[in-house]
Amino acid sequence: MATVKLSNVQKVYDNGFVAVHDFNLEIKDKEFVVFVGPSGCGKSTTLRMIAGLEEISGGTIEIDGEVVNDLQPKDRNIAMVFQNYALYPHLTVFENMAFSLRLKHVDQETVYKKVTEAAEILGITDLLLRKPRALSGGQRQRVAIGRAMVRDSKVFLMDEPLSNLDAKLRNAMRAELILLRQKLNTTFVYVTHDQTEAMTLGDRIVIMKDGYIQQVGTPTEVFEDPKNLFVAEFIGAPKMNIMKANLVRNGNEYYSEVFGSKMPVDAGHCRKLIERGIDSREVLLGIRPEHVTICEGPAEDNFPCTIEVNEMMGSELHLHVDTEDGSRLIVRTPTVTLSPEQRNHLVFGEKLYITFHGKVTYFFDPETELNILS
Amino acid sequence: MTNLTDLEYLRLSKPRKILYKVLHFLVSIPKAILKLFKKIWGVIKKFGIKVKDEAVDIWTTFVNGSWQTKVSYLVMGFGNIARGQILRGLLFFLFEAVFIFYMVMWGGHWLSKFTTLGTIGLHNEYDEKFDAYVIVEGDDSFKILLYGLLTILFIIAFIVTWRINVKQNRILDQIVRSGKKVKSGKDDLKSLLDDQFHKTMLALPLTGIIVFTVIPIIFMILVSLTNYDAQHDGYSNLFTWIGLDNFNELLSWGSGSSNLSAAFGEILAWTLMWAFFATFTNYFLGMIVAIMINKKGIKLKKIWRGFLVLTIAIPQFVSLLYVSKMFADNGLINGFLMDMGWITKSIPFWTDPVLARVTVIIINIWIGIPYLMLIATGILMNIPQDLYESSRIDGANVWQQYMKITLPYMLFVTGPYLLTSFIGNINNFNVIYLLTGGGPTNPDLLTSGGSAGSTDLLITWLFKITTGAESNYKLAAVIGIMIFVVVAVLSLIVYNVIPSTKNEEDFQ
Amino acid sequence: MNNKEINKTPKTKKHMGMTAKGRISNTIIYILLAVIIIIWVLPFFCIFLESFRCETQGMAGYVIPKKWGFDNYVRLFTETDFLRWYGNTLLIAVCTAILQTIIVLAMSYTLSRLRFKGRKLLMNVMLVLGMFPGFLTLIVLYKVLSGMGLTGPGAVPGLILVYCASSGMGYYVSKGYFDTIPKSLDEAARVDGATRFQIFKKLIMPLAKPIVIYTILTAFMAPWGDFIFARYISHAVSSGYNVAVGLWSMTERTSIGTSYTMFCAGGVLVAIPITILFMILQKYYVEGVTGGAVKG
Repeated sequence: MATVKLSNVQKVYDNGFVAVHDFNLEIKDKEFVVFVGPSGCGKSTTLRMIAGLEEISGGTIEIDGEVVNDLQPKDRNIAMVFQNYALYPHLTVFENMAFSLRLKHVDQETVYKKVTEAAEILGITDLLLRKPRALSGGQRQRVAIGRAMVRDSKVFLMDEPLSNLDAKLRNAMRAELILLRQKLNTTFVYVTHDQTEAMTLGDRIVIMKDGYIQQVGTPTEVFEDPKNLFVAEFIGAPKMNIMKANLVRNGNEYYSEVFGSKMPVDAGHCRKLIERGIDSREVLLGIRPEHVTICEGPAEDNFPCTIEVNEMMGSELHLHVDTEDGSRLIVRTPTVTLSPEQRNHLVFGEKLYITFHGKVTYFFDPETELNILS
Repeated sequence: MTNLTDLEYLRLSKPRKILYKVLHFLVSIPKAILKLFKKIWGVIKKFGIKVKDEAVDIWTTFVNGSWQTKVSYLVMGFGNIARGQILRGLLFFLFEAVFIFYMVMWGGHWLSKFTTLGTIGLHNEYDEKFDAYVIVEGDDSFKILLYGLLTILFIIAFIVTWRINVKQNRILDQIVRSGKKVKSGKDDLKSLLDDQFHKTMLALPLTGIIVFTVIPIIFMILVSLTNYDAQHDGYSNLFTWIGLDNFNELLSWGSGSSNLSAAFGEILAWTLMWAFFATFTNYFLGMIVAIMINKKGIKLKKIWRGFLVLTIAIPQFVSLLYVSKMFADNGLINGFLMDMGWITKSIPFWTDPVLARVTVIIINIWIGIPYLMLIATGILMNIPQDLYESSRIDGANVWQQYMKITLPYMLFVTGPYLLTSFIGNINNFNVIYLLTGGGPTNPDLLTSGGSAGSTDLLITWLFKITTGAESNYKLAAVIGIMIFVVVAVLSLIVYNVIPSTKNEEDFQ
Repeated sequence: MNNKEINKTPKTKKHMGMTAKGRISNTIIYILLAVIIIIWVLPFFCIFLESFRCETQGMAGYVIPKKWGFDNYVRLFTETDFLRWYGNTLLIAVCTAILQTIIVLAMSYTLSRLRFKGRKLLMNVMLVLGMFPGFLTLIVLYKVLSGMGLTGPGAVPGLILVYCASSGMGYYVSKGYFDTIPKSLDEAARVDGATRFQIFKKLIMPLAKPIVIYTILTAFMAPWGDFIFARYISHAVSSGYNVAVGLWSMTERTSIGTSYTMFCAGGVLVAIPITILFMILQKYYVEGVTGGAVKG
């Protein structure tokens, strides 16, 4: 049960490459924090610095109020699950899980109790005598988690633990992780490149890119109120549509000009824009695929496009459409509301008219890529 | 010479592609050499900066240091002891004490003689007791050179240790100022099994390498700058520094009275020729044997392989000496051929210079193929089967499969191995020495410095010069250094050309 | 072996023409392989036969003895110091196997799995040192060893020292093996509370069994064949010979007339135990050699 505090943490490699810039974060007790970002963004490096596997080039890391910069991993009271599980191949599942306790010379009775308890929770009791190579991917994953569980550590670190599993197993394990987390009730730091995992698991999400934190917030915050273009595009799938647009001020009203159509801006947005004293200007307009609306016919607030690809996902339909000037947008529409005729209409080569819901459009500064509204 | 874009290059026909590559390579040579020099200059510059930084650090540490630190500049380890690091401090202090004691007792003596390597050898001296001249021992150049070198190395070690001592005091000052706890001796010992574990592990291997390889090599480099040989044994007749004369003698082609340089040239040429043939005959024939054994449908693979591997187990000196006798004038082969009536006179396998060279290469195939077969088998099994399947669908026949898939794959994977094997063959003492002993004698290679035979490699020549009657140590040292130069140049070129040596982590 | 399965599959369904062609090429290969095996094994067969020849003791132009017997073996033990040489070599081999294995494993483990300042530099220095021919330093070593009384009759400890001292430079093969063990195992163990020493002892060593056996095997076998150092350091003192030098001295021009068959007998006695040992541990040897070549 512990807090983790990172202040001005920095990682510079010997060749001068800066992997992490000035990282500041306070992780509360029993919080589940997810570091997410594309590969090479420094998320794993940060986690490994917390674990003590990478040296900290600058700043301090505190666990439970104690600066751990110079402590060995074993003295930091942490547990870690690795991407490739890192099970000791020559030891049985039982001994794998008991390894840390053996090093501390814990008596056999306690070892037995702790390991079987953890195995019980993870449902791997009947695997205890097997060697890792006789296990399936999901079972190995459980053993790796079990090995971390028996340590009763203050912080639980996980480095892309699900990325070596196939899609189906990953979804199942994700749900199990949520359950496990409720049972263990400890502080978690979790690294992933998968935004779905981040959204579903995390109390708070830290989105990183090129060694910088882009945004820290709850799943709802980062989804509804992305700080910048990167976050907006990274969170949510399929990713947000971005296009050039003109934001036009007309007294206390705003509207946006996109592909020759005029779309009104939501009243709430207008208030914010006025507060910030924003005049007519060029912006990047963002809209999530699920917020694009298909219209009956041409109108002032919509514009025409041609369907290039249609992907039937079952419950919904993903349409890749081209506007008249060749920009590609994605439209996501639920299938239940579509009539058979409408469905027949939504195929390659067909023309359709689309408009954006004013409440859920985002405006980004083309230069700084910051969200103008947030 | 213009640079083509990738697409332009792709349009060229195959011969023109090769031409383009070759031209490019030739053009890039001066650049590469320039780059090498720049790199060397960079290293020198870096070193200079480093020395300057160290000096500045030593000065600032002194100025800003506490009194304990300042005392440590004279009495090593004082700062450590004063701050509770008894173990470290004592070690530092002990080292300094031993150093001073050694320098006063012996070091100074050896150093003072190091520049001349001794002035008086064995000589007669008048002894009052016997009222006669008796032979008295004088200086011993060998000892002076050896102990002089050791003393210099000891001084360097002392300077480095002193520097570490200063650095530690600076760190201790910092720790004390920030109010943290100083590491105790117990912590030090503990860390030797943890974050300083590499020191524990490397202590024994590196000591061995320094004492038995590094120091001897430095010593031999020094010997190559002296006239140490049988006439100047350093004891009855002192030897002394003569600069680069030995290298001059070996490398000044055609000039001077000695034919040493001509002999060296010929032996070097044969060494390279031998290494080339020995490496590539083994490589390709071994690969063919491996492919034959691995071919689909061949049964008893394990048995074929087992028999060949078995021959590796038998110590080389047994097999080589025996085979050498088999090919002798009165050996089994000649005996058999004569019994059959196919020849009337023995084939001079070991006495004809050309035939001896050919025979050596052929017998080396016999020695080498089992190894190569093993290596090739391992790699062949690793070639993904789907490459062959896909090429079959593309219409390749067995020969094309070999040329387009097997061979490139093998060459890529075994590139570094080929280099090591080539170098190993340059230094392949056993095969030559046990088969021919370097013979037959070659009148061209009779030199004043030490004679060689037709099949002698540089390495066997070196051995003969060292151990033979000539005991021409200075020449041996020079030849050893020349072998190093040849190997180093070869490696440098190859490492820069072949792709699979670039990154040690690539294979992980 | 997985090639067994590969062999079986294509055989069943094929055109007659292809099978016939395949059969011919396979027959050629069988013949070639048989010839190769004969050429490779023949010398050893000959040496074995010649060691039982009693009628003459010098070289002869034929293989099969006219008079069979153990004379040569008896002479080997009664007329020469063969037993002494054999004991010397065995002692050297055992000590070298132990010491060299420790040194090589320490070196390769450290360079492969520990990260410390100067590691790259150290590896480069080793590379450069390795380019100097091995017995450039023969003279110095001899002088130093003779100063310590470790030459001539005392050659055995001297040789052990020479073989082991610099063996750290031969770390490449086992480093290649250590490199293949995933790094995350060490990291997991460190998080689990293990010191580096405990990782070495409890984690990597149990996993490195094949390479340990390979290192022991090669270290054990090398002294049986070494000739250069052994000859120089024993310095013509028979009691300091190893088998290689001892048997070599029998084939010199002056002695070959009377001791050639004895040399054969000695060769057989050296080869048999090593071959048996090698056959038992062959698997590990093959693994080491192939891995080493690929890793460079």
